[in-house]
Amino acid sequence: MEQGVAGPQGLPRKNAVLRALQSLSPKAWVGLCLVLFAVFVACAAPWLAPHKPDAQDLLNMLLPPMWSANGNLDFPLGTDGLGQCILSRAIYGTRVAIVVAVSAATGAMLLGVVMAMLAGYFGGWVDRIIGYVVDLWMSFPPVVLSLVLMVGLGTGVVNVILAIVLVDWTRFCRVVRSDVIVVRRRQYVAAARLLGFGHWKTMWREILPAVGPLIITLFTLEMGVAVIVEAILSFVGLSVSAGTVAWGVMIADSRDYLHEAPWGMLTPVFCIFLLVLGCNALGDGLRESLDPALREREKEQG
Amino acid sequence: MIRFEHVSLSARRASGQVDLLRDISFTVPQGRILGLVGESGAGKSMVGRLIAGLLPEGFRITQGHIFLGDTELTGMPPAQRAALLGRKLVFIPQEPLTALNPLMTIGESFAEQLEIIGMARPRRHAEMLRRLEEMELPQPAEILQRYPHQLSGGQCQRVLIAMAFAAEPALIVADEPTTALDVVTQANVMRILARRQKANGTSIILITHDLVMASHVCDEMVVLYAGEVVESGDARTILAQPLHPYTQSLSGSTPKLAGEAKRLPTLEGFMPGLGDLAVIAGCRFQERCGIGDARCGQRRIELQQMDGGRAVRCLKVGVPLGDAAGSVAADTQGHGEQRAGQADDSPLLRVRNLSLTYRSSGGLFSWGSRANKALDDVSFEVYRGECVGIVGESGSGKSSIARSIVGMHGECEGAIDVDGISVIGARGEALEQLRRTVQIIFQDPHSALNPRRSVFRLLTQGFEALPPRARHEMAAQLEGKVAELMGDIRLPPSMLGRYPSEMSGGQKQRVNIGRGVFLAPKLLVADEIVSGLDMSVQAQILNLLKELAARYGIAVVLISHDLAVVRYLCQRVVVMYEGRAVEQGPVDEVFLRPRHEYTRRLLAAVPSGDPGKPWPVAV
Amino acid sequence: MLRTPLTVLLQRLLAGIPILVLLSLVVFVVLRALPSDPLGMMLPPSATRAEAQALSAALGLDKPLYVQFYIWLEKALGGDLGHSFLYQQSVVLLIAKALPVTLELVLVALCIALVISFPLALFAYSLYGKRWGVVPDTIVVVMQSIPAFLWGLLFIALFGVFFPVLPFSGQIGPDYHLPTITGFMLLDTLLLHNGPAFRDALAHMVLPACALALGFCPLVVRVLRSCLIEASREPYVMVARLRGVPARRILLRYIQKNALLPTITMIGVQFGFLFGSALLIEIIFSFPGIGSLMVSAVKSNDLPLIQGVTIVFGVLMVLINAVVDTLYVVLNPLLRDH
Repeated sequence: MEQGVAGPQGLPRKNAVLRALQSLSPKAWVGLCLVLFAVFVACAAPWLAPHKPDAQDLLNMLLPPMWSANGNLDFPLGTDGLGQCILSRAIYGTRVAIVVAVSAATGAMLLGVVMAMLAGYFGGWVDRIIGYVVDLWMSFPPVVLSLVLMVGLGTGVVNVILAIVLVDWTRFCRVVRSDVIVVRRRQYVAAARLLGFGHWKTMWREILPAVGPLIITLFTLEMGVAVIVEAILSFVGLSVSAGTVAWGVMIADSRDYLHEAPWGMLTPVFCIFLLVLGCNALGDGLRESLDPALREREKEQG
Repeated sequence: MIRFEHVSLSARRASGQVDLLRDISFTVPQGRILGLVGESGAGKSMVGRLIAGLLPEGFRITQGHIFLGDTELTGMPPAQRAALLGRKLVFIPQEPLTALNPLMTIGESFAEQLEIIGMARPRRHAEMLRRLEEMELPQPAEILQRYPHQLSGGQCQRVLIAMAFAAEPALIVADEPTTALDVVTQANVMRILARRQKANGTSIILITHDLVMASHVCDEMVVLYAGEVVESGDARTILAQPLHPYTQSLSGSTPKLAGEAKRLPTLEGFMPGLGDLAVIAGCRFQERCGIGDARCGQRRIELQQMDGGRAVRCLKVGVPLGDAAGSVAADTQGHGEQRAGQADDSPLLRVRNLSLTYRSSGGLFSWGSRANKALDDVSFEVYRGECVGIVGESGSGKSSIARSIVGMHGECEGAIDVDGISVIGARGEALEQLRRTVQIIFQDPHSALNPRRSVFRLLTQGFEALPPRARHEMAAQLEGKVAELMGDIRLPPSMLGRYPSEMSGGQKQRVNIGRGVFLAPKLLVADEIVSGLDMSVQAQILNLLKELAARYGIAVVLISHDLAVVRYLCQRVVVMYEGRAVEQGPVDEVFLRPRHEYTRRLLAAVPSGDPGKPWPVAV
Repeated sequence: MLRTPLTVLLQRLLAGIPILVLLSLVVFVVLRALPSDPLGMMLPPSATRAEAQALSAALGLDKPLYVQFYIWLEKALGGDLGHSFLYQQSVVLLIAKALPVTLELVLVALCIALVISFPLALFAYSLYGKRWGVVPDTIVVVMQSIPAFLWGLLFIALFGVFFPVLPFSGQIGPDYHLPTITGFMLLDTLLLHNGPAFRDALAHMVLPACALALGFCPLVVRVLRSCLIEASREPYVMVARLRGVPARRILLRYIQKNALLPTITMIGVQFGFLFGSALLIEIIFSFPGIGSLMVSAVKSNDLPLIQGVTIVFGVLMVLINAVVDTLYVVLNPLLRDH
């Protein structure tokens, strides 16, 4: 009963953003909250952290968390091998994580989407070449590629971001490209061209809005990936400079004291896990609210 | 063999329980074919699922009984019910190519079916060959080795029919078995099906939207509307003398190949959906009916038994519909009228020696590519104001012609001139001019309208593409123009803010047409614009197109596989077969006195509605 | 041209050669873009300029880039990947010792991952759309947020520190000194009929392999689950029900089998990811595989070693992709031309 479901007498469409927010699943909300929380912590770090992240207190090394026997209220999660407050370091570490997550995801998105649009829209040899490069890139272990790039670029957070962008744009490209190809085949794109729309106009007005939701989903998932890659690179010592604190660095430092002070490692591990969980939950939730909505609509027409 | 007695099926909705199907009663006697006819949304597929016992969540039978022979199906435990499927109760699906497991060969699927009906393994191969031979399939042994994607739609459907008959069931339910097939294939498949049915004496329920086809093939017919049986009885009689206003409208709105050429009465509005059914107390058709009155809407109307085994659900049987059948606007141009503007005799569209070859490359490392000639030396002309139809089956090249005319196939050879401008190789100024002269309307309104654009933005899409100067000129009158256009396509102004997902197929198609007409082109190419639409909606769209073409003097090239539609709308026709234009001329000439062998075959494959002309015959 | 499995395999392998050459060129150039000084490591602080130049000439570092690359390529095709600055050994030898370690780890982890993922995916599929469907869903999202290296760290904390039941450093205990036969530790211990050594090696393998597997699992589960759902929505499944095909058979032959194909390709694509995770795991668990080798090389700018390991990865990927593509053609009749 096709008409009854969508209803030609149905209400006119409400504001698109409102509608989108309404359809968010609980999963997406959880993810959104986690991510926003992390952003908040990163911004408000100086006020939230009880100590400066590199303030060494050599009298209070390897203290356990405050709820343990020898704990100290001054250091809620204890201290590391140099007497630095773990909680403060974790809070400040959020900054690096968020900065890398957002910038790397943005960069990868821009590069990947542009290539995907070109490849998917123009097809032919443009598509062949880009597709070839993407397949090549993607079949290679991303970690290995990043390492090689870091050798070539040098260490530092900016180079980490650059390396992630150069490695992960392919992920965006591949997924968005197949979507662009599907949309490109739709008759309304041909109709737009026949009405006189030029190439760029068509891409901007007809195709981009159609793949927009997918891009947003990929963006959030990419943030999660960026956090992990940064953690790996700072764990290996190729990311932040010696003075800055990042979660990966905390993990590397804590390895030597694992037996005496496991929380030194568990804290950054937990932080990474939470942020990545937030990004994944958000991305997944977004994907779900977009996909079934689309499918339902398509079912109604069919 | 199967008997429905006052069956009602209801679904749970937010507003409460709604009767999806109400008071369905019919009988299929042993060895007869019953046609279940209705438009989409009428509930005919639901009846099929009822018989199968595979209902979606939240649907249940609230009343009535279903009997298969002497066994009652309603209330049967699900396991027992499931055991009937494939054995006593067999289904023939709508889309044959996707109906079988693509990873199993035909032989494996067929053998699996034979295993289900309990045939011993040694006998299976011989049985499969026998059944396939009955279907007139050449080289059945080879077919058994193939995979479904290696067969054509018609071949696949015959395999499915063979599997159906192999079970020697009590009842076969064929759900739109030929809708996805070409006209000629359809005729062959129906012929084979009918012949097998007679030979085996199996009862068949044929679910279809095609009233005319059903009248030829079926013994009895049941017409469904909004979940109710509105008329039932002998198939041929129902077509010849429909009693229910809906059946009359349905029969009237179906363009026919034979008989008088009169204007199709349009049935405005649409079938009530699930949400609307809850509030309708009386006759479900009343809203669209021309002769209903207060009494019709008060309470449920019972199915009245008439003479000759017929039954009608209407209080106004015998009252003539006349001109009250739907709203019929003042007629302007009937069929077959002379083309306008005869003084200017140079053709608007001139196609000369058009050829198009597809080169499919086999990938990075294959040597040689396959060339496929989609069009081969096609020539024809279209004059101002006239309507020319291009007919053919799928693969005949008719869509390629449409696309070439608007310039979508830049690689074609030959000459295409529109109003003096060559389409092939047009650039810059000339291309812009072409855009304003010729427009195309695509078939699938769902795909042809950007789901993110509102109706207003869709209609004015042509405006967006104009060069800045022209845009500036037109900007002031834009709103007025849109309002006028909405009036032309018969949509209320309130729909301007709607999105495609909120509109019905017919409404979307109107917007589609409106968009094409916005820039006031001289030539419209309409590519299968009514395929996939319900009959009543189809009539609306056809009449709309006729009106607009007449009012604005637009010439139309109508691509269609449906000969009757072309007959209704067009003055001349071009018949396409495998990329070549095999015959062309005035519609009446070509359809009444076809000269080419293929045209004859095509015409013979179409059910005409005339009981004197038997159908289907071997084509 | 016929598209048989064999031709596909050959096609892919042949196509892989220019890919590898291109890859080595790119890596070569990228590595040399570094303004660092590879010689600095190898010379004593008091080295004179002349000595530095001499060493540079000996290593061929003073020639133009494309010449250097050509020399490298020539040697590589002959089987010589150069000499590691850091370890002062032939790169090929280093890799030959390290590669089996990584391969063994990855294979074991892959098996574990598949064994866990399949039932989990089937479980998630069976609950799809139902009320409790949220449970497997959440499990997968949570697992996905814990990359392999985090699992590794957690395992070390859990089973190394809190409940010290399993070893977490090295491939085998320090008391065992075994001659290498194949280089695959587990295999070697079996070939040497050394039961206790085998058990010890196995014990050392558990944590890293499980960490790697758990990092890879959610990927497989998601893909398989969505493929199962897609397959179940296909029209031929509904038709099969109407044909009377028993439910279990539909699940097996119509849904699972059909879902397997796209799953295999998608997993094949993710192999690079698996190897990348193995790299980290090797470092954390002190496995002497090519991952550890790579990281040491990177940290000390050991260009020949970095180059060599990268190429080896490239070869691995080409081989794996070729095998997966061939497998796909073997299993999927729709792709075969007749």
